[in-house]
Amino acid sequence: MSATKLAVRVGAALAVTAFVASGVVALTASTTSCASSPDTDRITAVIQPDYESYRLHVDRYLNRRCGTLDCHGQPGRAYRMYGREGFRLYTVADGGLISGVQPSTPEETLANFQAIVGLEPEEMSRTMALANDPDLQEAEGLKRLIFIRKPLRLERHKGGPAMAEDDPGYRCVRAWLAIPTVRPDGSPIPPDQRQKMSPLAIANCQQAESFP
Amino acid sequence: MQHPRNTPRSWLSAKLPFATGALVVVGLALVGSSCNLDPVNRAAVNALGPERDDLYLPESEFHRPGEPCATCHSSAGPADSQFVLGGTIFWGPRNYDRRVDGAYVRIKDARKTTKCFVTNCNGNFFVRPEEFEKLTFPLLVSVERTQDPYNSNSPRLAFKEMGGHIGREASCATCHILGLKDFGSPGQIYLFADEAQVDQAKVPVTVPCPNPDKPTIVRCPEDRL
Repeated sequence: MSATKLAVRVGAALAVTAFVASGVVALTASTTSCASSPDTDRITAVIQPDYESYRLHVDRYLNRRCGTLDCHGQPGRAYRMYGREGFRLYTVADGGLISGVQPSTPEETLANFQAIVGLEPEEMSRTMALANDPDLQEAEGLKRLIFIRKPLRLERHKGGPAMAEDDPGYRCVRAWLAIPTVRPDGSPIPPDQRQKMSPLAIANCQQAESFP
Repeated sequence: MQHPRNTPRSWLSAKLPFATGALVVVGLALVGSSCNLDPVNRAAVNALGPERDDLYLPESEFHRPGEPCATCHSSAGPADSQFVLGGTIFWGPRNYDRRVDGAYVRIKDARKTTKCFVTNCNGNFFVRPEEFEKLTFPLLVSVERTQDPYNSNSPRLAFKEMGGHIGREASCATCHILGLKDFGSPGQIYLFADEAQVDQAKVPVTVPCPNPDKPTIVRCPEDRL
């Protein structure tokens, strides 16, 4: 082999090696430099619906409609509900709660509320940001929530149609989510200054919770 | 002279792939029809364990009281018959051996259709699809036992109404888990709140089951002629 050919081959081998090595270095750098250590102080703010109205008027309906042991009253559901007739919130302190026996507890109501909000926190924020304009909220916000989409059968729901747009249950939930919890400028409205659900909306909730 | 394409050998080589494919399809169909290919259902069926022929007539309407019927009696399960609803009624909340015969299980579906079914001597009841056409969940359920189920006018001995409703489950025992009363199960379906009340009521327990001397009740009073 001539010296020229040898030089070409060695040069080519070196070029390939350098190319591969630079790729490995770049890949390593890109993966290590992008991974920062988790910031344990960071929180994601969510615009939540009004808890007081939920506690007083909405939870009983949703619990009765959705929270049976064969539906959302079980640990396998992302939207998991707790309550007297279904799954009980199990903690060391109240491990004695038995399905169908003791009344629902305030902790269970809170857990149900958190389950709705935590299902899609970003979508819930977007929906609640529109609460100052209920028509816009219904048109653009409500039906983005999977919690609304599934029972209306806009998306596949294993439990079938659980709500309809003309039933009192949907009207109850819609009235609850239409209570603004932030002002148009984004500042939070303190709970004691928020709107209350109208008597008609409360009547819808009561009618819905008597289901079926 | 025979054309090369018409010789028996070439015919065989042309048809062989189709024949092999057909055999594979038939084989798969046979395997699929005889075996449960759903691993979740298969595991659930296996978890039920073997039949207890010391307690009941195996593979009969009296078998496996308190167990989830539709695990087997569904389109996914291995049983020949399918149920849209099935379960077992017990007299008390704990005793497995005291089951209610002749109890009236009334079911009201979302379309407000009400139908009544009767438990057999081992406490089992079941609803076949043709017995409740267009059954629409959710369902409300109540159970009544009169003092003498053979008599349509007999007074009520016990009555229980389900506090909630059935959302979509065909087996009562999926939620009413036998021997488990805790945060995720209200326990077996019972008519008296504790076993002492059952003792006081001196409830009848059908032994043997089936009893050849006692005809089976198949209709609720409202369905009798």
